[in-house]
Parts: sequence; C-alpha cells; structure tokens
Amino acid sequence: MKIALVVYLKELADALRDRRTWMVVLITSIVAGPLSLLLLAGFVADIEASAAKREVLVQGGQHAPQLANFLARAGARVSEAPADFRERQRDGRLPQAVIVVPEDFEQRLARGEEARLQLVFDDSGTKAQASSRAAAGMLRAWQRELASQSLMARGVSPQLLTRVSVEEVNLAPAGARGAQLLFLVPWLAMLGAVVGAISVAIDVTAGERERGSLEPLLMNPVPTWSLVLGKWGVVASSAVAVVLLTLAGFATAMQFVRSETLAALMQFGPRELGIFVVVLLPFAGFMAALLMLAASYGRSYKEAQTYASYITMVVNFLPILPLFLSLRDAPWQLAVPALGQQMVLARVLRGETVGWFELLAPGALAIAGTALCLILLARLLRAERIVFAR
Amino acid sequence: MIEVEHLAKSFVSGRGRKQQRIAAVADVSFTAPDGQITALLGPNGAGKTTTLRILATLMQADGGVARVGGLAVREAPLAVRASLGVLSDARGLYGRLTARENVAYYARLRGVPEPAWQTRLAEMAQLLDMEPLLERPTAGFSTGERMKVALARALIHDPAHLILDEPTNGLDVLSTRALRTLLRHLRSRGKCIVFSSHIMQEVDALADSLVIVAHGRTVATGTPAQIAAGGALEDAFVRLAFEGMP
Repeated sequence: MKIALVVYLKELADALRDRRTWMVVLITSIVAGPLSLLLLAGFVADIEASAAKREVLVQGGQHAPQLANFLARAGARVSEAPADFRERQRDGRLPQAVIVVPEDFEQRLARGEEARLQLVFDDSGTKAQASSRAAAGMLRAWQRELASQSLMARGVSPQLLTRVSVEEVNLAPAGARGAQLLFLVPWLAMLGAVVGAISVAIDVTAGERERGSLEPLLMNPVPTWSLVLGKWGVVASSAVAVVLLTLAGFATAMQFVRSETLAALMQFGPRELGIFVVVLLPFAGFMAALLMLAASYGRSYKEAQTYASYITMVVNFLPILPLFLSLRDAPWQLAVPALGQQMVLARVLRGETVGWFELLAPGALAIAGTALCLILLARLLRAERIVFAR
Repeated sequence: MIEVEHLAKSFVSGRGRKQQRIAAVADVSFTAPDGQITALLGPNGAGKTTTLRILATLMQADGGVARVGGLAVREAPLAVRASLGVLSDARGLYGRLTARENVAYYARLRGVPEPAWQTRLAEMAQLLDMEPLLERPTAGFSTGERMKVALARALIHDPAHLILDEPTNGLDVLSTRALRTLLRHLRSRGKCIVFSSHIMQEVDALADSLVIVAHGRTVATGTPAQIAAGGALEDAFVRLAFEGMP
C-alpha cells in the first residue's frame, strides 16, 4: 500500500506537469458545463416555440367556416382528420385531439341555438393530453369571442363575461415533461469520465512502454499490483476531477439560466447532484481501469489512442442506443455499463423516485469491473510480450 | 556472486503454420565473482540481452538455473531484484520530472531512506559529472546524460550486484570514461559487476574475466589474457564466436 502511494504521488506530479492534462481540465471546466447548458437552453426555447405552433385536426371542417377562420387567426394549422381517427387514437398512432363538427353546426349557430362540437382524444398518452388541452383552450377562446360578439350586438359589455378570471397553477411534479432532453446531462457527465481518464491512462501504460521506462520500473522489488493500484489511482482521480468539474459546471449554469421551462424540465438541486456523484464515481473508476487495460496493448501513445478510442466510442454510443431502438427503461439495462447509469440518472433528473437497488447496482457492477480490469492489467504488465515489444 | 548454469530460453516467432521456435539462449553458463567485472562478449543476437533479462527476473528461463547472491532467480524474484542494480538497454526516464525526481522515485519504491539516497546521489553525481543536470527536467537530455541518470537510478539502493546491458551504446568519449571510472570504483568496493558488449576495446579496458557467447552458447571463459592466448583478443574472439559453429 505504501508502494502504491509512492507510485500515486509520482504519477500525480507527472500528470500535473503534463499540458494535456490541463488542457482537458481547462476545456471541461470552462466549456463543457456552461456550453452544454447553453445548448440545452436553446433547445428549451425551441420546444417553447414549437409548443406554440398548434396543429388542429378537424373532421367536417367545411360545416364550420367561422371556426376555421378563428383557428387560422389564432395561428393554428388546421387539417382534416383521417376517417379512422378514433381507431388511430385508441392504439396511439394519432396523438392529436380531433374536433368533430356536425353537419348542421353552422345553421344552428346562425339560428342562435346551442351548437355542439365534439373534442375527441385518448388521454392515456402524454402527448395527447397536451394536444387536447391546446385544442380545448382554442375552442374556449372562440366561445368567448362568439359570446362577446353577441353581447356587443345587444349593447352589453363583454366584460360581464369575465367577472372572475382564472389563473392556472399546475401542481404536477415539475420535470415530467420533455424527458428525452434529460438525456444530455448524464451523457455529458459520463463523457467527462472518459475524457478525464483517457490521456493519463495512456501515459501511465503505453507511455511507459514508448519511453522505455516500463522495463526498469518492473525491475524494482515491488509487487506489480501495487504499481497498477498507484497508477489507477491517478487515472481515476483525473476522471473523477473532470466529472466533478462537469457537474459543478451544470449546477452553476443552472443558477444562471433561469428559464421556467428548463426548471420545469429537470431537477438538478443539491440532492440530485449528490446522487449523480454517487452513481458516477464508480463509473469513473471503471472507465479509468478499462482505458488503462486497453492502452496497455499499445506500444506507443498513438497506438494506445486507437485502442482507447474504441472504448470511448462504445461508451458514447451505448446511452444513445435506447433512443434509436426506442427501448423502454428495463431492469436489464442496469447491468450494462453507461446504459445503466444513463437510465438511473435520467430518472433522477425527471424527478422520479429511484430505489436503492437501481442506485447501487450499476455502481457495484462498475466496482467489480474495475477489479477485474486491474487484475488483468497486473498480469499484462508482467507479460514478456508487453514488457519487451517496443 | 552471479551464477548461471545451462540457461536456455526460446521464443515463438510468427503465427499459424509459419510459427517456429527460435532458441535465443541454448546453453549459457558462467560465474561472476564479487569484486570483479565480468564481460559477456558476443556478436549481435548471441543471446547476451536475453541472459541478462533472465537474471533481472524480467523473463523466465525455459531451462537451467540462474542465481544472484545465492538466490535462485525463479524462486525469489523480489529478493533478487532487491539486491540487483540493472542498467538495461531500455533507459526510459520520465521527461517531465527532473533527474533528481527520477532517481527519487526509484529510491522510494525501494524504500531507501531519504538522507541515505540523497547522499548517495550526491556522490554519484560527482563521480559521473552530472551535478548540473540534477534539477533539470530530463526531456531533451542527450544519450550520455540519460545514461548517467539511469545509472544513478539503478544504483540508488547500493546494490551488491550490477548488471549493465551494452552500457556504452551511443556514448561519447567523456561519458564512456565517466562510466568506466564509476564501474572501477564500484569494483573496488567489492561489487559483482556483469556487463554485455560487442565492442572489443571496451571489454579490454574494463573486464577482469570474459565470457564469450555465440549462437546462444558459452564458447569460452577466462581472463582476457587467457582467451587472447598470446595473440590479439580480437582474433581470438572472431575465431571463437564465428568459426567452428554448427
């Protein structure tokens, strides 16, 4: 253990004098956190804009020219609903609500009788709820317009209609909306682990081989595992440092970007920050060990970069996989590194309750993976083909 | 004392059908006593480096026995490493660390107390004429400067045995002289020194006894005078190393 500490201190001093280390730290701390949040804020603004773009489906629109006119004035895009819209809504293929206009609608309206409209929707999907609310809101607005027109025609002030004004206060848990956005924050934090580990991992393994310093190092009367442990300590420290910097960047940027939508979109307070750290620390340690193992096969820094980039690619790609394959969250995903972390952290951001098992399982697996990588690494560093192939 | 008896080591080369075993060391035997400088002399590819790597516990021999200070290399690698100082052909230094920090790292790994190694480093720096180098980062050091730092690093625990693989490779005259001075100084202190070389003059200038290795076998041992047998050492070497082999 004392030997491992000696190795750790030496590698730490070495890494801290490496410009590459500082480049990574600088870039992540200055750019990654705030910049990605800026992107996020831009994305949020986009969503807000597209939410305002209302699409309304109408069946029998030709029977209600007044309504069509109003909807167009309100900025909504009106289109004819498909004939089998009820069926489609039921099995989820059509998320929008549909306004059904009966044939005698315009006549009844002209006669001053009660004219009925139907708003058909299936609110078992979240998108349908938003769409039906928007359509209902527009219909209410038209009702008010019609009513105030008739009142004015009779010489009555339309203000009588709004004796009581209603302000909507939504008590639903913040963050239940726009969930796919929450992908970005855990993903970038995990990327931080890889970025923080990669250059140090290569330097302490393939770098030793390239310099020709591995052979003399192994001639010291110390067990290989203590060398591996000390080296891993530095790589893991670097990975953890970049993860923490990234998270700190997010947390700080959240303080600056005071967008209602963003706040509604994700929860990132001290509690969430704590969970992120607990979930991501073992992951950073695992990435450090895995990258060191891969880089050990490289005879030179360049060769090791190639091997390490395969791992980087897989780690970057795994969390995106469910988006492409439209996989639902499932327990087996906990067992996949990066994917498990992504799933748990996204749910934390969404404000869902996450159980102990889900919180700790990916971490336990990461620790087991770390141990395995380090054991393999200790063996590898003693292998003649690694020590002498230069 | 370093003893090597019938050492053998072969490597697998190529893949698949083209795979074949190449015997790097077939039968090497010699004894290097304390207080002497023993030279392994042989042409390129004779098996000198492989023999030294087995002694340094970095490779496992396929056959034969190697002992350092009475300890079998295979059985007690950690104890053997503790009593060995090795200057291999890989002399990699940590370029971002200063020469002193490079040496300090190995001293700490070997558990040498700080005052002891600082004193020893000061002595060696004087003998090797490397005092101005100590506080400079080693990136950009010349071959001679690198050798000096690597040598100081290999000797920082004051080992009883010293193994050097082609120590003068790429060195200029002054560095070679500094190295010789240090080796003679260590010999006078009773250290057991083994070095490999393929350069006649170097062997002639330093070695007390010679081991001539060719095609992975020991072909002659003795003092330089015995091996030269009244003629020139070079002629004797060429005859022993290149002729009369199967």
